[in-house]
Amino acid sequence: MSAKPLGLVFFPAFDWAISPSHPEREERLLYTRDQIVEEGLLDMPGIREYKPSMADYKDIERVHIGVPNLRSLITDAHLVSAGGAITAAESVIRGETARAFALVRPPGHHAMRVVHGTRGFCTVNMEAAMIEHLRQQYGIKKVAIVDTDVHHGDGSQDIFYNDPDTLFISFHQDGRTLYPGTGFTDELGTPNALCSTVNLPLPPGTGDEGLHYILDQLILPMLDDFKPELVINSAGQDNHYTDPLANMAITAQGYARLADKLKADIAVLEGGYSIEDALPYVNVGIILAMAGLDYSKVSEPDITRCPRQSVATTAYIKRLVQERQEMWRNREQLRRQAIARAGDFWQRKRGIYYDDSGISEQQLESVRICPHCHGYVTLATESGDYGINAKSAFAAIIPRNACSHCRQEARDRVLRAKKQGRFDYYFIQDKPADHLEEL
Amino acid sequence: MLLGIDVGGTFTDAVVVAAGKVIVQVKTPTTHGQLLAGILTALDKAMIGIDSGEIERVALSTTIVTNTLVEGKTDPVGLCLLPGPGMDLSGMIPAKSYRLAGSIDHRGREVVEPDRLAVHDACRDFTDCDVFAVSGKFSVRNPKQELQVARWIRETADPNYISLGSAVSGTLNFWRRTNSAYYNAAVWRQFGVFAADIETALAQRDVTAPVYVLKADGGTMPLAAAKEQPVEAIFTGPAASVLGIMAMHDNHLPAISLDIGGTTTDIALWQEGVPLFAARGANISGYPTAVRAFWLKSVGLGGDSFVRRENGKLKIGPMRRGPAMAMGGDQPTVSDAMIVAGKASFGDETRAYEAMTQVAASDQTPQETARMVMEAAAEIIWQSVEAMLDEQVAAPVYRVEDVVHSNRFLPRWVIGVGGAAGGLAPLVAKKYQVPCVVPEGAMVANAVGAAVARPTIDITLRADTAQGYFTIAELGLRQRLTKQHFGLADAGELASQYLSERAKQAAMSVSEVETLQAEEFNLVRGFSTAGKIITCRRQIKPGVLMNISGFSQKGAVL
Ligand SMILES: [Zn+2]
Ligand SMILES: [Zn+2]
Ligand SMILES: [Zn+2]
Repeated sequence: MSAKPLGLVFFPAFDWAISPSHPEREERLLYTRDQIVEEGLLDMPGIREYKPSMADYKDIERVHIGVPNLRSLITDAHLVSAGGAITAAESVIRGETARAFALVRPPGHHAMRVVHGTRGFCTVNMEAAMIEHLRQQYGIKKVAIVDTDVHHGDGSQDIFYNDPDTLFISFHQDGRTLYPGTGFTDELGTPNALCSTVNLPLPPGTGDEGLHYILDQLILPMLDDFKPELVINSAGQDNHYTDPLANMAITAQGYARLADKLKADIAVLEGGYSIEDALPYVNVGIILAMAGLDYSKVSEPDITRCPRQSVATTAYIKRLVQERQEMWRNREQLRRQAIARAGDFWQRKRGIYYDDSGISEQQLESVRICPHCHGYVTLATESGDYGINAKSAFAAIIPRNACSHCRQEARDRVLRAKKQGRFDYYFIQDKPADHLEEL
Repeated sequence: MLLGIDVGGTFTDAVVVAAGKVIVQVKTPTTHGQLLAGILTALDKAMIGIDSGEIERVALSTTIVTNTLVEGKTDPVGLCLLPGPGMDLSGMIPAKSYRLAGSIDHRGREVVEPDRLAVHDACRDFTDCDVFAVSGKFSVRNPKQELQVARWIRETADPNYISLGSAVSGTLNFWRRTNSAYYNAAVWRQFGVFAADIETALAQRDVTAPVYVLKADGGTMPLAAAKEQPVEAIFTGPAASVLGIMAMHDNHLPAISLDIGGTTTDIALWQEGVPLFAARGANISGYPTAVRAFWLKSVGLGGDSFVRRENGKLKIGPMRRGPAMAMGGDQPTVSDAMIVAGKASFGDETRAYEAMTQVAASDQTPQETARMVMEAAAEIIWQSVEAMLDEQVAAPVYRVEDVVHSNRFLPRWVIGVGGAAGGLAPLVAKKYQVPCVVPEGAMVANAVGAAVARPTIDITLRADTAQGYFTIAELGLRQRLTKQHFGLADAGELASQYLSERAKQAAMSVSEVETLQAEEFNLVRGFSTAGKIITCRRQIKPGVLMNISGFSQKGAVL
């Protein structure tokens, strides 16, 4: 057992649901609560429970641009969940705990920079709000996020896509077979931040064997190279073999060993919808592993049902790892080439679907390739529920290390857009000033 | 007439209460090593001039369980665990255990059946044990396996007593239930001997009234019930005082109570006229248990606390260096300061002045010094109160509503009892700018508490309508639900019904019933509601049989 305890923020939000029969409903962490309390985990000297604080709107505005505004889109539950992640993280930063686990809901890793509604059960990105809070309050710079949810963490990827100081690694069931349909290996980040986004799409049926091969051969070495000040685990648990929303074959032991090896400074719960057969055991396994306690006796009652990983999957994973290792080795060269190719601006146009809100968003993103800073980003966004209630906005994001030129230019572009008046709302997310401005 | 006896570390107190008045109060020194003799001395003194036939109830708050533990008189326990999958408890419990196969899941479903042969092996391992304890994970959701294993143990080893985890507590926490069940078994024999001695002694004195034992949660239980759950009778001293406060001061505003004794002050927070409970349970010898107890914080400061100067700075406690100088001690104490400040009058006043002169700064009068000592002592208590209030607001909650509306506890009263309360409690109250009460007779609050404490009992009903069962662990009960659309209100009714029955069996009267926990979750499977999971925990509210309105002068303070 480590000298300092594990910080645990357990917030099952027993009075919050997206809708009564939605996977994100009151019941989701009920059996996990039962298991944790029954095991006596909250009494363990190696575990210290914290009550979540409520995040400020400022913590959310540091990350998201809500259209028309954040207040109309989020509820107290989101503030408590984000606040829970921040409480967990601060216990680590202040040195009270060795590491911390925010076992909170609602989840957040599908929430992107621009928020028009709820997608993939997420409205606010908890990890992102937490990370930007830590950067603002404690001067943390380099952070790695390892997203172990079965779904591609497209929200977290989007928020940090232009940030070379955030290494975002997500493994997930292949986007061709699962929501949200992204997370392919060629999504690498903007030229400024190329290869700080690493996607590892996996075939359905991937088991503990494949997961730990990737972890040992690729993820842990990448973390060693990147040398982050903090490792964050987006700890989704829907890779479990019993999860109703996906088709993977990870066990509670697989997750616990992952937590043990990864030694994340802070883990934040994401998905996981096998609420009776997986979550109680996976969570106990992760908590024990993170607390440095024996987790060898944690297992699911129906473990014999867990399918074996196929030979073809094993072979695919070997190839994937090899290819990504090569990409990682050549990352600096790849980045230089991408910057050269892009010229002054890198652009992409996307359609983003909000499944929980029934909203479609069209987004044009433009990133300034600047030799002096990370470059500012502009976003032109328009959404509507099937063409009705259309809302549009134009926003600029000024990066933490913005040069004076980028700063001015970003502001000018929003002012110019406002003068032209084609959008409903205009925003500047000014990170150095720690301020979201509506013009 | 109600007779109450409280055995404390220093004094054994006895009171007789009649018609809302304390008509006798006795204070005798506690006889260490001879618990029973001390109790009988106090009893006999209290009974002088009282007809034994008039005593309606005898209630004891004793240190028998603590003494058994401290003096190492516990028995070896055949501790059998059904831990199922999860954390490994070995090394985290007070004794060697035997791990049996068998498991129940979080919804009370049997996953792996227990093995009879393994139980035989366990009994062979525990041949020197006359008492056993059986504890299974999720046994409160289905006590079947614990009961089964106990039957097999009875058939094989025929021990004198078997304690079951599901019987000690109906709430989740396998670790705590296991420790409780172990301690129950470990002290069972000693407690039985004590109970028999008490019964004999009372019979010899023609006292035929029923005997009750105080519990750490401030309730009482009949002696017969206590023999089955002796661990509940631990740590009753502070609970007795708290009950005494309740009897002597009926006020429903949020309050802080300070029981300021010789070396320690026990702090409790009060809401709606009752103290707050510890969130999970008491710790025994460093092990967490399921024994319900008031939430008390103890700070090492009391009337006997040693006062001195270290490097010119005034220091108080936490150690004691003998009694106050006014009482024949040779080191200054907080009590000496109180005497000099005119807040207490006992012992030799000139010695108290000497004490204050001894710790006075060069330009200070003894009176100024005494005031300063008391301020500093109050400051120490106040800091502990503040820490407790911090802890209260930081206690985890699991609903959004409870985070949004979480407020710091705002005391409106300070209640002081115990020897040094008169001097210090008002100073603490001043820091909160609230009134302070030191009820008359505060010196024997503990014995008064024991005398008038109400019997309490609790019950946890859990219904799983998808499976069609309900369980009451404390009764070893798991039965089919017969009612359609069973809801939380039905669960409450059913719980009350079983609570009354359980109380009746134990010869207790049912007074006010309160709900400790009420939870209802919809169980959704495949986008439709498959049933409900309902938990309803109810108890006979701790409280007092009567309020105390006064004290008669008769009594013997030794
Ligand atoms: Zn992922
Ligand atoms: Zn997911
Ligand atoms: Zn720039």
